[in-house]
Amino acid sequence: MADYKEAPLASRPKTLDPAEYFNLSPEYRRAEEERAALRANLKRQYQIQLNNPLRKELIEDPALTRWTYARTNIYTHFRPTTKTSLLGALFGVVPLFFWFAVLKTDRDEREEKIKAGTYDRTYKISY
Amino acid sequence: MRTSPICVWSQVNSERKMAALRAGCWARALQKAKGQGFKHMFFGARTAAGLSKDALPGSYPKTPEEIAAAAKKYNMTVQDYQPYPDEGMGFGDYPKLPDRSQSERDPWYSWDHPDLRRNWGEPMHWDFDMFIRNRVDTSPTAMDWRTMSGTLLGFVGFMLFMFYAGEVFPSYQPVAPKQYPYNNLYLENGGNPEKEAEEVKNYKI
Repeated sequence: MADYKEAPLASRPKTLDPAEYFNLSPEYRRAEEERAALRANLKRQYQIQLNNPLRKELIEDPALTRWTYARTNIYTHFRPTTKTSLLGALFGVVPLFFWFAVLKTDRDEREEKIKAGTYDRTYKISY
Repeated sequence: MRTSPICVWSQVNSERKMAALRAGCWARALQKAKGQGFKHMFFGARTAAGLSKDALPGSYPKTPEEIAAAAKKYNMTVQDYQPYPDEGMGFGDYPKLPDRSQSERDPWYSWDHPDLRRNWGEPMHWDFDMFIRNRVDTSPTAMDWRTMSGTLLGFVGFMLFMFYAGEVFPSYQPVAPKQYPYNNLYLENGGNPEKEAEEVKNYKI
């Protein structure tokens, strides 16, 4: 596995990450310890609520609330920039005109063929 | 089950206390709201969850203090916390977590939510619902991407090319139209018996 290469949908597992066993500087260790402290605090909060015998309601997860709030309130932080305007035009405006053009030309051609009598109806269930 | 009189009395007492507490809460809320009007009593700045407004996602952080506060809000270290670039796409200060699916996480660790492989309170990826184990999987593959895509495209391309070549240069089993005897079945096909049919020879020696 020494020649493992990452790809857009395939990541490098943490066990093959050289930083885990080569680069154990004090700063890296301190950062890992900070993360572990945060994790432990959250675990403690959850376990206290989970094992509380007087608890009757569900344990509310603030991270989930924040995620839901962020996903549903996108427009409050929307700002018209070049990128957002281009994307909006590309996905909202262009398809209208594009599909109108495609369908209109196709149907006009079919109409011409029917009028001229050259429309081939073999194997056609509907029109 | 026989309960002693003391237990029953304390239970009733505690229920009465709970009722009194609830009534007191209502009374206090009504008193507070009286000054601010009807609207504030029901539609005030109060989230449905127990979270306050500053625990919810906000706008893009610009100063280091805002960054530190946002990192603390999302339970991340300042080093790890990295918001989405401020391009007006609507992310606000939500953190940009690495695009790793939940199937990459350790299956043997005792997660708080084992099916989601997530702990309580852990910051969720923006596309969390895409990265659950039933959906997109970013775990390492048996071989690298180039080999896989090369093999697939190579095979599909080769087959397409061969089918196209078969259309351009068709090759059939050697067949010929069916040959009938008795001058192509002259009498059976309604030929005149008196008249002499022309000789049809379907072979060549």
